[in-house]
Amino acid sequence: MTDLPTSPFPALLVGLPFLLATLSLFFSSKGKAVVGLIGSFLTALLAIVAFVEVTQQGTVIHILGGWEPPLGILLRMDSLAAVFIGMTALVGVFISLYARGYFRAQEDSSEGFPLFWPLWLFLWAGLNGLFLSNDLFNLFVTIEVIGICAVALAVLSGKKAALFAGLRYLLAAITGSMAYLFGVALIYGSTGTLDLALLGQVLEPGPTTTFALLVITPGLMIKMAGFPFHFWLPPAHSSAPAPVSALLSALVVKGAFYILLRLWTEVFGVSLTFAAGQLIGVAGAVAVIWGSWQAFMQTSLKLIVAHSSVAQLGYLLLVFPLLVLAPGVTADSADWLSPAWTAGVYQVIAHAFAKASFFLSAGIIIMAMGHDRIESFRDLAARMPMTVMAIGLAGVSLIGLPPSGGFMAKWNLLQGIFLSGQWWWAPAVLGGSLLTASYVFMLMRLAFAPARKKEPLRPVPFRLQVFALLLALGSFLIILPAESLIQFLESSQIFGSGIESIVEGGVYGND
Amino acid sequence: MSVLIDGILAILAIYLALQCLMAQRLTQTVFLFFAFGLALALAWIRLGAVDVAIAEAAIAAGFLGVLLLDALRDFSPTFSQKQKNPETGQNPPGKDDNKPPFLPRLALGFGLGLFLLISLEAIWKTPEGGGLTAASEAFLPESGVEHPVTAVLLNFRAYDTWLEIGVILMGLLAIFVVGGIRLYSRPFTAAQDPLLRQVILFFTPVLFLFGAFLLYFGKSGPGGAFQAAVLWGAIGILLHLGGRPVFSVMPRWLLQLILTMGLGFFLLLGFLLMATGNALFEYPPAYSGIMILIVETLAAVSIAAALTAIFANVNLMKEDPNQTESTT
Repeated sequence: MTDLPTSPFPALLVGLPFLLATLSLFFSSKGKAVVGLIGSFLTALLAIVAFVEVTQQGTVIHILGGWEPPLGILLRMDSLAAVFIGMTALVGVFISLYARGYFRAQEDSSEGFPLFWPLWLFLWAGLNGLFLSNDLFNLFVTIEVIGICAVALAVLSGKKAALFAGLRYLLAAITGSMAYLFGVALIYGSTGTLDLALLGQVLEPGPTTTFALLVITPGLMIKMAGFPFHFWLPPAHSSAPAPVSALLSALVVKGAFYILLRLWTEVFGVSLTFAAGQLIGVAGAVAVIWGSWQAFMQTSLKLIVAHSSVAQLGYLLLVFPLLVLAPGVTADSADWLSPAWTAGVYQVIAHAFAKASFFLSAGIIIMAMGHDRIESFRDLAARMPMTVMAIGLAGVSLIGLPPSGGFMAKWNLLQGIFLSGQWWWAPAVLGGSLLTASYVFMLMRLAFAPARKKEPLRPVPFRLQVFALLLALGSFLIILPAESLIQFLESSQIFGSGIESIVEGGVYGND
Repeated sequence: MSVLIDGILAILAIYLALQCLMAQRLTQTVFLFFAFGLALALAWIRLGAVDVAIAEAAIAAGFLGVLLLDALRDFSPTFSQKQKNPETGQNPPGKDDNKPPFLPRLALGFGLGLFLLISLEAIWKTPEGGGLTAASEAFLPESGVEHPVTAVLLNFRAYDTWLEIGVILMGLLAIFVVGGIRLYSRPFTAAQDPLLRQVILFFTPVLFLFGAFLLYFGKSGPGGAFQAAVLWGAIGILLHLGGRPVFSVMPRWLLQLILTMGLGFFLLLGFLLMATGNALFEYPPAYSGIMILIVETLAAVSIAAALTAIFANVNLMKEDPNQTESTT
């Protein structure tokens, strides 16, 4: 791995937002917002430049401190990492722009939440660091950075409900981190290396490896709110201020998914069984149905959107059973791997755009009405057409109707499911889409229904509605470069690869 | 003999942990937590990890224990009210109401027990990998320090350490976000007790010197920035408790500088090294010793300030100086 071209970009992608976040602490409330906004633009610009460099040079690395692994740490930016970093940059910039306007409009009551900006830039640095990391322990440090920033952002409003939800979130996140760290300790103890690429070569199947997998996987599933560990997500995401909800739902939970994907495909291949894939698939399928049903049952907009995140994250888990190949199947003959990977990546990107837009729209509605109970949605289409359109478009992407990014994800997922012959996942995917359609259309129906009595609307800055709508449009526009994006992803080593499982074995599967 | 000591330590640690969880009163829990931390520190010494032992004793047992005690005092008005009520009705109501039903508790206990057994087996069966000890020993001469742990923390894996220093700052920001405990603000009093004043006068220089010693000694033996930071942080806490809140006499920009300079200098040095064509945190071998010492010193001061700020709960990011005083 160390013979790949070196580049300063991976180090800068972590260092720059970190530096800007630290710098912003020195400014007053207003200055923090300005530094934060400029910092967002600079970081996004850097991410785009780095993305372009990866498209030209292929995978680039940065050997931190000049010490090669296993002793040192290596940052690796391959096409998968580049896509995640690019997504974070695009969604992040829009959320930053929205946050500036949103907090300014509320300045009188809350002093504009100045600490949002340093925390968000730290969070951004942590996310970039996570996507670039190639080291088990370094991944732990990045999820700590992300976790603490995410919790701090979730309680930003300081309200009682937010504090309760934030404490729960903190405890869940710490439990997840500890489980992950325990697994890392076992692996380091048995192999003496932390570098993912080296581990992929030296890790041997055995009880230690299997047990490490058994603690790391649930640990990361707690972090990504995978069923049945999703309990912390709806209260935490729905009680945060709108830009924060968007950040948490669109970006933060994807970090844990990314680690899970990397570890399963690059490191733990030797220890995975077909059954393990099926098990995580069941969790995903239940999450899709349960989350969508819960979303349908809610009566406040933000809770609908938060429960919908649980369901949409379930789709990501459904990718895993397709990646684990049944015994006797080789990666070359498995033609469903590429659709499965495409589905996973597109689900991440489409959900990031759509969910960010959905939460930002919810923030606009709360700002206008003072609450988010859905019965007052009546006649909203006439009064706030742009926001209703944003919700509608984001909803269409979440359902998976063409021509949205969500369609790309769900279509490829179904394709992968049928090609692999694991047809039993199809009802979950379709049922989830139907339930999603139910709550989206319920909102739309209310929005077009005549109102009994009109509550006066408070003014909302026009810009905010534009940013929410642009994000919703983004979840459609991302299918335009689909072909070249998939081609680009194919240059990543793990894209399109599967995990060949072994069946014979003792207590743990592979004794 | 050593087996006997190890056995007693292991039993003691588990016993204290259980007692800590089962204690009836929160005060007992906190003091048992102190003891548990010290038992763990002893266990780390027995395992040969002196650095971890110092950190465990200083941070986990010492600093965390002090924070817990402080929290206990802040909340004591609420707790004492709650504890007075049940005297009429025998059982504290808060406890019984929150008790989950018997079956889930049994299932949870059973599950955790099973998990413990399986993890014990997994740890038992873990093959000896040797770790990176050999590699870090081999590159030690090039690292600029003589102690392998310091070399790993400040040179080989400086990136992780830098991020961790950031995590401390972020934790502080998280506390600022919550706004601290406004409800139970204490009146600001200078230490009237002559004994306390003498204690502060005596301990401040001693703690400072001992911290500086640990910091410098980290080059060649157990010790280093984090351990020194806790001792220096203890100075801040002591002065704060003695009615000499150091932070309130400093201008705000200076405090912000102190809090961020460890992280900031580390990163700026890294960027500077990158500008000269090296990788991030790649020290030139000739200067690595002195660079590590500067980074460690600044980091220690920053962490010490952060620990004091966490304890003293000074909201440095608020602009209104009156508000700072009322929350202190």
